[in-house]
Formats: sequence, C-alpha cells, structure tokens
Amino acid sequence: MPFPGQPGTAPGPRGGARELSNLQFALFLALPVIVFLVLVVIYPLLYAVWLSVHKIEFFGGYHATYVGLQNFVDIARSAEFWQSTLISIRFTIESVALTLCIGLGIALVIARPFRGRSFVRALVILPWSVSLYGTGVIFFYLTSSQGGVVSAVAGLFGAQQPVSIVNGATVIEILALGNAWNLAPLVGFFLAANMATTPERLYQLAAVDRLGVLATFFHVTLPPLRFTFFVFACIVTVMSLKLFDYVYLMTGGGPGRASAVLPYELYKISFQNLKLGLGAAMSFYLLALILLSTGLLYFVWGRRLNRST
Amino acid sequence: MFKLSPCLGAPLVAALLAFASSAAMAADLGPVSSDPVYVRGWEFRTDVVQSNVDHYNKDLNGHVDYQTVTGDYPSLMESQLIAGGNLDLIYGNPSSAFRYNKGGWVLTADQLPGGDKALADMYPNIRDAWSDNGKLLGLSYFVTTRGLVQVNLKKYGGVGMKDADFPATWSALYDQLYVLRDKGIKVPYLPHWYNEWSGIPWAFTFEVLNRGGQVADAKTHAPMLTVAGPGGDTLRDWKRVYNDGLVPKDVITWNQAAYLQAWGSGQYVFSPQAAYDLKTFNDPATSQIAGNVTFLPYKGQSWGLLDSALYLTVKRDRSPDALENVKRFASWYGYRDQNGQTAVADRWLDEAMLFSAYKSVMESDHAKQAIQKSLSRPNDYKALIDLYAATPYPTGSWNVVWSDEFNSWLKDQLQLFLSENRDVGATIDAINAKIAELNKENGL
Repeated sequence: MPFPGQPGTAPGPRGGARELSNLQFALFLALPVIVFLVLVVIYPLLYAVWLSVHKIEFFGGYHATYVGLQNFVDIARSAEFWQSTLISIRFTIESVALTLCIGLGIALVIARPFRGRSFVRALVILPWSVSLYGTGVIFFYLTSSQGGVVSAVAGLFGAQQPVSIVNGATVIEILALGNAWNLAPLVGFFLAANMATTPERLYQLAAVDRLGVLATFFHVTLPPLRFTFFVFACIVTVMSLKLFDYVYLMTGGGPGRASAVLPYELYKISFQNLKLGLGAAMSFYLLALILLSTGLLYFVWGRRLNRST
Repeated sequence: MFKLSPCLGAPLVAALLAFASSAAMAADLGPVSSDPVYVRGWEFRTDVVQSNVDHYNKDLNGHVDYQTVTGDYPSLMESQLIAGGNLDLIYGNPSSAFRYNKGGWVLTADQLPGGDKALADMYPNIRDAWSDNGKLLGLSYFVTTRGLVQVNLKKYGGVGMKDADFPATWSALYDQLYVLRDKGIKVPYLPHWYNEWSGIPWAFTFEVLNRGGQVADAKTHAPMLTVAGPGGDTLRDWKRVYNDGLVPKDVITWNQAAYLQAWGSGQYVFSPQAAYDLKTFNDPATSQIAGNVTFLPYKGQSWGLLDSALYLTVKRDRSPDALENVKRFASWYGYRDQNGQTAVADRWLDEAMLFSAYKSVMESDHAKQAIQKSLSRPNDYKALIDLYAATPYPTGSWNVVWSDEFNSWLKDQLQLFLSENRDVGATIDAINAKIAELNKENGL
C-alpha cells in the first residue's frame, strides 16, 4: 500500500480520513528523534539553567532558593575557578599538540607499505581501544615512583630509591601525554587514510625536482592533511576540555591543585560539596570555554582553510 | 576511651551474655515478601560480602541484591540518595553517616529488629561517636585505629635499634628519623600523606589529636587550631622532614593502593597505617616484611584516630513488606543472625582483622585468637588493645555536615603547604578560616 505523498497517491482527504501533508508526515517521522532530543538534551539543559539560578540545600530539609545570577558572580570571583581554567587551557593546548604530532608520526609509519604492516596497524590502534579509566590506571602506574617504569629503569642502574617524575610542575605534561597516547592512534589512522588519497604522481614529480625528504614532506605530504588536522584539533580540544574520569583517576586533581582541571573542579563543587547551583553555573562557563576555543580555532584556522579550498 | 582490658579476663561472663542475647535474638530474620533488598558496598573484600549475602539468601530464602560501587563512594551514594535510587543498605564512615542523616536519608538503628540490644552491646564511646541527637545511625561494620605507627623490625633492628628505642611521641618519632638517616637509612619514613580524602587530611587530624589538640570543637564545631599549639607543631614537623628528604616526596601523588604497596615493599622503617593492616603486612602472601611488622605502643601519647564504618539503612519510599525485609536483613548483617550469632562481625575479624563496636564480639576468645594470629609477636596483642583503648575520635570535625567537604579542601591545602613550602601560620589561619566559613554556610 503506497504511503501518502508517494507517486501514485492523491493528496488530500480520501475515504473520509484526512491524509497527512508531506510536512506533517515528515514531522511525524521525526517525532521520536525530537522526543529523544528533548529528553536527553533540552530537558537537562533547561534543568541546568534552573539550577544555576538557584541555591539548592539538602541538609535540614530540601530548599531551592532563587538567587538570580549570584552563582555566576560567585564563580567569576573564585580564584580556584580561574586557576582551573588556566590549568584546563594548558592541558588542552598540550594535549592537542601532542595528539596531532604523535598521530602524524603514526600515520607516516603505517601509510607506506612494509612487511608486517597489518600487525603494526593492529598494535598501534590498541591504545585507542583502552577506556579513559584504563588509561588513567595505566599511566598512574607507569609514572608513579612506586612501581613505575622510571623507577624500574633507575633500579636497573643501581638506584636505591624510587625516582619520582610526577610533581606540581610536570603533572599536566604527564596527563597530556596519557591523553595523547589514548587519542593519537585514531588521528593517525585518519591521517594515513588521507595520505592514501595523495596521488603517487606528486611524489614522483618531487623526486624529479630533486626535493629532499623534508621538502617532500612539507610540500607534498603535509598540505592535503590540513583539513584533517583542523578537524582533529577541534575534536581533541573539546574532548580535552571536558575530560574528567582520566584526571580524577590518575591524579585526583593533585598534587595540591596542580591538575585540578575545570571538569574536576566542577565535579568537586557539584558532587562532593553538593553545591549544585554553583556547579551548574560553572558548567556554563565550561560550555562557553569550549565554544570559544572551537570558535577561535575556526576563525584563526578553519576560515583560512575554507578560503584556500 | 575504651574499657576493653578489664573485661578481657572474664570470658565466662561474655559467653553467658552472648548466650542470653542469642536466645533472645533467635528471631525470624528472613524476608516477609519477595521484595529485593539492595545492598551497595565499596570495594573491600567483596568476596567476603558476597559470601555473607549468599548465606542469607540461601539459609533464609532472602532476595538480597549486592553490588560493588567503584569510585568516589560517598559522593556516588549521596547522589543516589538524593535521586531516591534503589538503595537499602550502604556503608558509611561516621562523617558521611552524619551528612546523610541531615539529608533525612537514614533509618536509625533503634527502628531495626534487635536495634536496642545492638545499642546496649556497643562500647559507649563508639555508640556516642555514631549517634546524632541520641539516635544511633547504623550498626557496626568495623572499628580500627588508623594512624598507628607500624615498625619494620627488619630495617629497625638492622641498624642496631631495639624496642627500648621506640619513640613515644610524634616529635620524638620525627627526631629519630634523623638518627636513622645517620645510620644509613636515607628515607626512613612513609607518612600517611597519600592523595585521597582519607590520606593527608586524616594524618593531620590524628596528629593534632594525638598531640592533645582538636581541629574543631566537639560541640560548637568552632575552629580550634593555633600556630603555637598541636596544629602548628604538626605542620612544623612535617615541613622539616619533607624538606630534609626523610620521606618520599611524591607520596602526596599516590593513591591508597600505592601507599600500601610501598609499605609492604619493606623500604621504610616507620609508617602510620590502619591496625587491621597488621594482618596484611604480616602475611607472606601480601607483604615482603611479613613477620617483621609491629607498631609503636602507647606510652602516654595515643597514636592515630578511631576509624570506623557503619552499615546504614536507607530511609526512602517503600512498601511495608519491602521495609520489613530491609530491616530484617540489616539486623542480620549488622548484628546477629537467625541463630543469635555475630557471624558477620566474627568473620571480619578472621578474614581482615576488622574490629567490631560490639563488646560481645571483641571480648570473646575468638577475637583474641583472631587478633593474635595476625600479629608478629605474642606481646603485641596486649599492646594493641591498650593502644586501641586510648585512641581518640575527632568529633568536632567529623560529626558535622561539612566534614567531607572540609577533608577534600584540607587535602589540597596540606599538599600545597608541603609542595610550595608555605608558611605554617598562614596555613593554620587558612584552615581555621575555612572551618568558620563552613560553619557559617551551614548555619552552625
């Protein structure tokens, strides 16, 4: 039986039953998606807005008091918030740089045919299949002076005491390295796929022009990868800015507050201190930071790419 | 303070008491309906918990659903309690228990079958520590001394030190670290400064208590630290041993598992640990210093604080039958089983040397044997009981709604104090100011 709007069917009422217009039918089909979006996006978002303008108290009886924009003001005046923002930015910049560089390195290795390439490809993608929780556990034990790799190597050379590499000055770099270890394989595979589309003829022409390895890399290999780099710079930026479980597991925001990134601070305020209004307000600052960062990437880099293509 | 020792010589009385209680308690503790009972515990010996639950389900035809919660247990439970999730019996340290009770999520123990008998069987000081406005918040999971300073006799004796040289106070302990360094042990001390809410904040709390001070007033919760008093003394001692390299500096980045692993590796001479871990570290299967671990005895100054946990029964909307099921299981699990035996508490003593709040458990021959089996030297039993009896409890900073938030904040501050070499006076002032701020926020 044909559906309304299909060829061979007449629009309009038929047999007493009103037939749906194309628009109505499209809306009808989209209804489950709309309901789903309302449930999982719109409702929580509106609820977060409501929370952010209230002071919620659970102890001594539940109370929700309207406080206007006070939570936003309190967050903006908090030194911890600004410190966490700077930590998040530092962590994100380092994560993006490391992820793209390691990803490019992986791509360069796996893009060219060599014996055992399939095995290497399978090996290289493994870190990406590890959960962030697992990454936290692995890097905690890799970098900890207690049973870590550095201590083990130092022990081989006769060191009597464990060697510590995690401290307030290095913790963000170590966190960024773990994050990049987890994300870079995916970037590497996309870049390798991108490289496969570069015509072999260009490399032959480069050889004819007697371009060296570096010149070939910069003038033949790299230019077609720009868009992939841009896309992954955006993706890794967003993922790093909202990263929580890995940081929570590996450093717990420490030592001191040296790795208290914004999502960790948000968790602490909302779920440990149970200040849901303040936490909701902070989550909007985090959202703004994410939008600002990706917007900045687009204006500085993406628009130029668009123009050049 | 505990009054354990005088009763230890009267096993007959204890046995008679236990028998009388058994007869009275041999009530039906099985479920009255098929409504499930949801038990959610943290990750500690989940094999034992599962086995206990299986016993209940099998012997009494129960419908107990037990699962382990990984991660930040107190916060996760709090979120579930707020959301009215399927929770019936949960664990809680006293600080969490107080907080949950202020949220109206706790069914106090007097409402459980046999709750009055459990209350009468508890050591008074523990009962007081676990009570809010005279209501007992839950039944006994465990009690222990945390911060008792364990000694690695292999290392200590290896440099010619003997029991007679054991320090009696915290300051004497820190002074002795320099002596040990001069004898060739470069990093002799593993402090209780690991990077968790039960790590460095608790270390500060127990040292202040042991030195005769208080972090906050027991009744008003007002800040009590002074730069010239126990708080300042603790920080000054910490600063000198940290700056002089007598401790592994990155202990402030470790989790509890790494901290325990480090002590079990045998690299250090002294380390504050939980009393129940004497069993772990004297077990060759889990420790490289098995048979060589003892602890600093009580010589006028207490060591550590009273660490404990309760089984909390959750107050939420349920059918009367479901509520009855929960109450019966809570009583069975938290006090006596259908035969009147304290089977769960006895098993914890056997398996993990977890002490109980119940006199009938702790003053039995069974308890004495279980504890002695876990110690390296015969005389350690009496020394442990004496030390346990002198262990203080931080009522002012734990039995208050802001306790968990304060501990989380204190963790960061103390780590910063050490790693950034901050001023003692400024840190004490900041802690006092934070307590005052939390009191104000919570209307105290």
